[in-house]
Amino acid sequence: MNTEAVEVNNVSFEYEKGNEVVKDVSFSIPINSTTMLIGPNGSGKTTLLKIMVGLLLPSSGSVKVYGVEPKDNRSDTGYVPQKLYFDQTFPITVKEFLKFSYGGPDKYVFEMLENLGIRDLAGSLIGKLSGGQLQRVLIARSLLGNPKILFLDEPVSGIDMGGEQNFYDLIKEIQNKFDVTVVMVSHEVHLVSRIADQVICINKEMLCSGAPENALLPEVVEKLYGKHTSLYKHHC
Amino acid sequence: MFEILQLEFMQRAFIAGIILAPLLSVLGAFTTLRKMSFFADGIAHASLLGVALAIIAGVTPFNGALVAGLLFGVLTFLLERYTKLATDAIIGIIFTTGLALGIIIISLQPGYQPDLISFLFGNILAITWSNVWLILVLSSIILSLVFLLFRQLTLLSLSEELAWTSGISTKYLNLFFYIMVSVSVVLGVKLLGIILVSALLITPPVTAKLITQSFRSYVFLSVIFSLIAFIGGLFVSYYFDFPSGASIVVSATTIFAIVFAVKITWQNSK
Repeated sequence: MNTEAVEVNNVSFEYEKGNEVVKDVSFSIPINSTTMLIGPNGSGKTTLLKIMVGLLLPSSGSVKVYGVEPKDNRSDTGYVPQKLYFDQTFPITVKEFLKFSYGGPDKYVFEMLENLGIRDLAGSLIGKLSGGQLQRVLIARSLLGNPKILFLDEPVSGIDMGGEQNFYDLIKEIQNKFDVTVVMVSHEVHLVSRIADQVICINKEMLCSGAPENALLPEVVEKLYGKHTSLYKHHC
Repeated sequence: MFEILQLEFMQRAFIAGIILAPLLSVLGAFTTLRKMSFFADGIAHASLLGVALAIIAGVTPFNGALVAGLLFGVLTFLLERYTKLATDAIIGIIFTTGLALGIIIISLQPGYQPDLISFLFGNILAITWSNVWLILVLSSIILSLVFLLFRQLTLLSLSEELAWTSGISTKYLNLFFYIMVSVSVVLGVKLLGIILVSALLITPPVTAKLITQSFRSYVFLSVIFSLIAFIGGLFVSYYFDFPSGASIVVSATTIFAIVFAVKITWQNSK
């Protein structure tokens, strides 16, 4: 029986010929694990996530999600983008947005909103939500299809600093409740060991992969973010 | 009571408009959200090439416009998808080229061309029963398809990326949407003219967006406003002897101005 949710083999990607943004990357992600994909800005982590989701096709190499090519496995995949670019005046309520995304009965939509603690937002227009509320709606949307794996691209990017930890706790809760594999892109390097079972470090090419305590060595962090980066956040 | 309804040409115009106005406003609800208003305008203008070729070939100009609109819609989609050219640049080139070729071809024909003027500004007198039937059949098919694909088209308008991850074949749905808009715009040209047709696609949805609180009410109000604009415009046109296309457009703008003023007044009074 396959124990890997995702298998990435020698994947490279270039938006323009001769300009590789991901170079020969290979790793695997165990079923029901939480994996964090970290790297500095422009390191190719969002591109890699989009390849795993199937939104981009690799220039070379192969990706399998639960043994199937990502573009043919959309029903098993939930995806939460870093930022939803849309017309802020788009007149659609949260309930409509979820119902149109899923196509199933209202009851299940309301249950999901309840699970995410946003039942009271059902009638709100999505353009009027705060960053944190919209992220929760996007997570609710990604879970409606009952996915086996959830891909999140910088899920705390629209959330204020105090709310980040709560948000990661929510993701952990979701993983336990819905029994999903979680893969997320993050720049919160100091939170990796608290949140993730596995970390993948990338700066165009692979720099580390494995359990955070083994993989995230000081020299790797230095390679990723420069000399003055610590794994721990100092609270004054 | 309404002598206007006793006239056969008015009956034809009413039948055509009562199905065309909802069609254009429903598609316009998506088009305006997708910032594709210029596309609709471009298709209308470029369809003049079809009118010109049809006049030369002795074919019904309306059918020529339909084929040209359809082809230009598909061409715009392909260029947008497979080149790195900006969408507004593609539409700008297609729009002006279609129009220019149409003008050149028509200039080769000697004498006054009534069909040209009728296509530029719309002419309800020029709507024949066969036009009405074609409008009824095509509009009914397109409206049915839009409501069948309502969920998918809404998601696609919101975010192509999210639509794709929801299992929608975004490439084909996009192409299909371009085709539906192209054909509908050309159907509307007969009533409103090349220059004015996009008004019925844009103004009612923009008016509805001012006051709506959900997507369904947005589409519903777009249809209501377009019908009021169409019927009101046609009455004004008849009783004041104004051109019909222009009257319908001014009627739509008047509704927009009233709704906008009421909204602003209401907001300020809070």
